Amino acid sequence: MHPDAGEPSAADPNSVEPNSTWPGVHDLGGTHGWGSVPYESDEPPFHAAWERRVFGLLGAVTAASAQRPGEFRYALERLHPDDYFDHGYYGRWLAGFELLLAEYGVISPDEMASALNRGANRELQHRSSPIGRAAPTFARDPALLPPDVPVPPPQHRGVRRDLAPEPRFAVGDRVAAPAAPQPGHTRLPAYVVDKPGTVVKLHPAEVLPDSTAHDLGERPQHVYCVGYDAQTLWGDNAEPNTSVYVDLYECYLNPTNGAG
Amino acid sequence: MHDDHGHGHPHHDLDASSPEIRVEALEDLLVEKGLADRARIDATIQRYEHDIGPMIGAELVAHAWTDPALASRLLADADDVVAELGIRGAEIQHIEVKANTPGVHNVVVCTLCSCYPWALLGLPPNWYKSPEYRARVVREPRAVLAEMGLELEPDTEVHIWDSSSETRFLVLPERPAGTDGWPVERLAELVTRDSMIGVARAADPAGE
Repeated sequence: MHPDAGEPSAADPNSVEPNSTWPGVHDLGGTHGWGSVPYESDEPPFHAAWERRVFGLLGAVTAASAQRPGEFRYALERLHPDDYFDHGYYGRWLAGFELLLAEYGVISPDEMASALNRGANRELQHRSSPIGRAAPTFARDPALLPPDVPVPPPQHRGVRRDLAPEPRFAVGDRVAAPAAPQPGHTRLPAYVVDKPGTVVKLHPAEVLPDSTAHDLGERPQHVYCVGYDAQTLWGDNAEPNTSVYVDLYECYLNPTNGAG
Repeated sequence: MHDDHGHGHPHHDLDASSPEIRVEALEDLLVEKGLADRARIDATIQRYEHDIGPMIGAELVAHAWTDPALASRLLADADDVVAELGIRGAEIQHIEVKANTPGVHNVVVCTLCSCYPWALLGLPPNWYKSPEYRARVVREPRAVLAEMGLELEPDTEVHIWDSSSETRFLVLPERPAGTDGWPVERLAELVTRDSMIGVARAADPAGE
């Protein structure tokens, strides 16, 4: 269950049902039940030695597994809420590493278990591993994605593409994004779904993570910065004089006449 | 440093579900398989602890404060300026700079994960990656900023930038009063990481 869907008790991970499809465990914008931000000014990049090691492994893990745009993020989105939240950012990275390395056949859960066992003086109290508790990837229907018209990548590696077709929307256009048509990876935050907004800027075109994360081709899209009035998003409880800007891929958007 | 990850020492108080134990096992397996190299891991960590951090963004901001032409170019096309200055690295495929003014305050978030302009600001602080910040700052930014020590005037417009594509945002904070004639290096010391995310103002020159 998404924290927003029931009692405001998301800070208690036990109240979050594992492996819900949409909105996912990661889709937090505007959800209720959270306490104060754990703010520390001048915070160091790492708080524990193990966090350093997790960060340091990113290059090796992605080289051996997830290399497509969105793939690593999608692995984190499929984690059990405990694995997503319990040990913070680097905790979810580590669980995501284990998941990807198992799915790519690089390190099997059995190998991991025996590596955990062989440490000195260690009593193995093995909870189910992050892999065992994660959701599988959804088989996504390519027919529900926009057409794949490949564009040669530029010289540098990355997600940006020079897209020949004209953008469908222009600055000032009113747009709204319906809910994603199928489960899986998307960069459409739930809190803007069906809300009318205004295109304020075009960003460089990018490959579509909803497709690349599922290995269904690049399907590059124009990307729009869409502005939403806080009142439109949150109703009468919205704070005054506030706008929220969200970057959305062209295939997410429809024209709308909606006020707000 | 490799030394401080405690490799080879027993962890009496940790069970196999603890991240300390699991990352050690994972690193050992990747090294045994020839897929990871401890020296390279150490070098990556060192780079992000010492060489890549908020001082890069701070220098950019300080330049913009002293050079109006650069500031307007930065706001119009930050990619050009960033490339010209030779700033390279991760998570800056497209940069947008948003200027705070007396009437407008900008704040950056990533509600879906923790996107952040690494090559300009280094790795993000924990609070930026926390579910509390990600959930709340889009719904009640004034309340969140006030808790973090930043009170905004009621008629100040608040603009929240949710990093949902590969565009990354940097806030150009207002230059503090009382800094006329300061050189770039001295100004840069006032530009905190948090002021470039938008949850704080630049530091007070009197408190320098």
